Amino acid sequence: MFKKKHPLQSKSEILLRNIVVTAMIVFFLVFLIIPIGIAFVGSFHEWNPLSGTYRFLGMENYKEVFTSSLFGRSMINTLIFSVVVIIFRVGLGLGIAYAIYSPFIKYKSFFRAIYYMPIVTPMVAVAFVWKFMYNPQIGTINHLLGLNINWLMNPKTALLAVMIMTIWKDFGYAVVMYCAGLYSLPSDALEAAKVDGANGRQVFLHIILPLLKPMTLFVVITSIISYVQAYVQILIMTEGGPGTSTYLASYIIYDEAFVKYNFGYASALSFVLFVITAVFTWCSFRVSGSEE
Amino acid sequence: MKKKIYSISLNLVLILLGIITVYPFVWMLSSSFKQNKEIMALEQHLLPQAFIIKNYITMNERFDFMRFFGNSLFITIVVTILVVYTSTICGYVLSKYEFKGKNVLFGFVLSTMMIPWCVTIIPKYSMIQAFGWMDSYKALIIPAMFSGFGIFMMKQHISTLPNEILEAARSDGANEFYIFHKIVFPMARNGISSIAIFQFLWSWEDYLWPYLVINTKEKQLLSVGLKMFNGQYSTDYGALFAATTISIVPVLLIYLFFQKQFIAGIASSAVKG
Repeated sequence: MFKKKHPLQSKSEILLRNIVVTAMIVFFLVFLIIPIGIAFVGSFHEWNPLSGTYRFLGMENYKEVFTSSLFGRSMINTLIFSVVVIIFRVGLGLGIAYAIYSPFIKYKSFFRAIYYMPIVTPMVAVAFVWKFMYNPQIGTINHLLGLNINWLMNPKTALLAVMIMTIWKDFGYAVVMYCAGLYSLPSDALEAAKVDGANGRQVFLHIILPLLKPMTLFVVITSIISYVQAYVQILIMTEGGPGTSTYLASYIIYDEAFVKYNFGYASALSFVLFVITAVFTWCSFRVSGSEE
Repeated sequence: MKKKIYSISLNLVLILLGIITVYPFVWMLSSSFKQNKEIMALEQHLLPQAFIIKNYITMNERFDFMRFFGNSLFITIVVTILVVYTSTICGYVLSKYEFKGKNVLFGFVLSTMMIPWCVTIIPKYSMIQAFGWMDSYKALIIPAMFSGFGIFMMKQHISTLPNEILEAARSDGANEFYIFHKIVFPMARNGISSIAIFQFLWSWEDYLWPYLVINTKEKQLLSVGLKMFNGQYSTDYGALFAATTISIVPVLLIYLFFQKQFIAGIASSAVKG
């Protein structure tokens, strides 16, 4: 609205601008751009800081990434993990937010506050709590459900157990997002639909859902980015096991880099993962864009 | 009538989900006051049959756990203050000043949020070694001083502040440093509080970076300490529950205290983004 007219730059403005811009550039150069460069160059080398090796390998590390069965397995695990957790996160988030938004619920902020609690708790601690809950000896889950399953030690249930814990921890974020989306809906569109005699289901499917699409896209994209990077719950709860059943892509990178100190190979893995994430993010933009 | 049934069942579903959400916290808290033999007993009760606080004493005596807590609190507060300050000042310059390359710089800041941790962590770790910052809090504080997310949020927030106030101050002869610290900073407090809360959480729960750069046990932070504790006393469940409770409850209390700002802050990050 107000076009900024500010032709005379004062000395102090130029000084402040120069200080801030320089500090920003220096910081991101040192702690982001240069590291990315070093990692990229390093991904073509055999690079082990413990033995002091730094030897050019060409494409060897990348070849190893694409032929490694562990990486293949971890990509499948990551895909299953992300898809399932994102579906539940979006589904529960939308459903609960719509319930809170509806006139049937009285204590709206109370429910929102409760569902948000797991989000603000530190992952390491929460993963330990769930590890104890799944423990067949002291855990509460078997006890409550009357089951006898060694959740984290059984290759059939371990990934499921980690996914349940992650859904529990993260669904509240989607609830808050969808609540924000619902409360910022244009009220005239909803009024018009009611005047035209649309019932609740029609309003939800044909008006509210399409209007919430940008929010869904936002939740899906931030979820993809964060689940491709998820490793803490694996580190605490299963360390990738039993067997390779809970290896996620980021956990392999952690393992290769800071347990085995294969810095070169871990860097190659990181770049492959980065490209895959970027492609998935771009695809979700495209999918949501082409429907309109 | 139909509406009433609908309303009751919807409330029941939300209450059930609420119980599922809260249950792990209640179980953890209650177990931290139980004796080990009760934790491992075949028959389990949610509330302790014999209420003891011994677990909290053992946890601290054996492992000096509160030391980790203090270290984490110190680092988290320092980093949060720095990030709030740098985000606000960068946000001010990027939103209220016109200069060449501004949009390129802002686009660059946005793109920093897309880079996964794994791409930069190995070189950063090598650089910290080369700088001789290993095992020092410099390694935890300096690489965390600027936040792409913080700058982005503050730029969006400050651009909504009216220019007239800034112009009025300028024509009164105030210099830009005065305007930023005395006018913009106080006016941006809503944005500042949401950045502060986010940054506090992220620093508080960070695991890998302190694990990599801090070697001395006495200097270590809470998340790493908790994992070390679990490795060493894996059968003293009571003490483990006490340590876990100590790492979770303070953040939960802060959250319950500031939840309004918190939820508003989260929501604004999406609506504006």
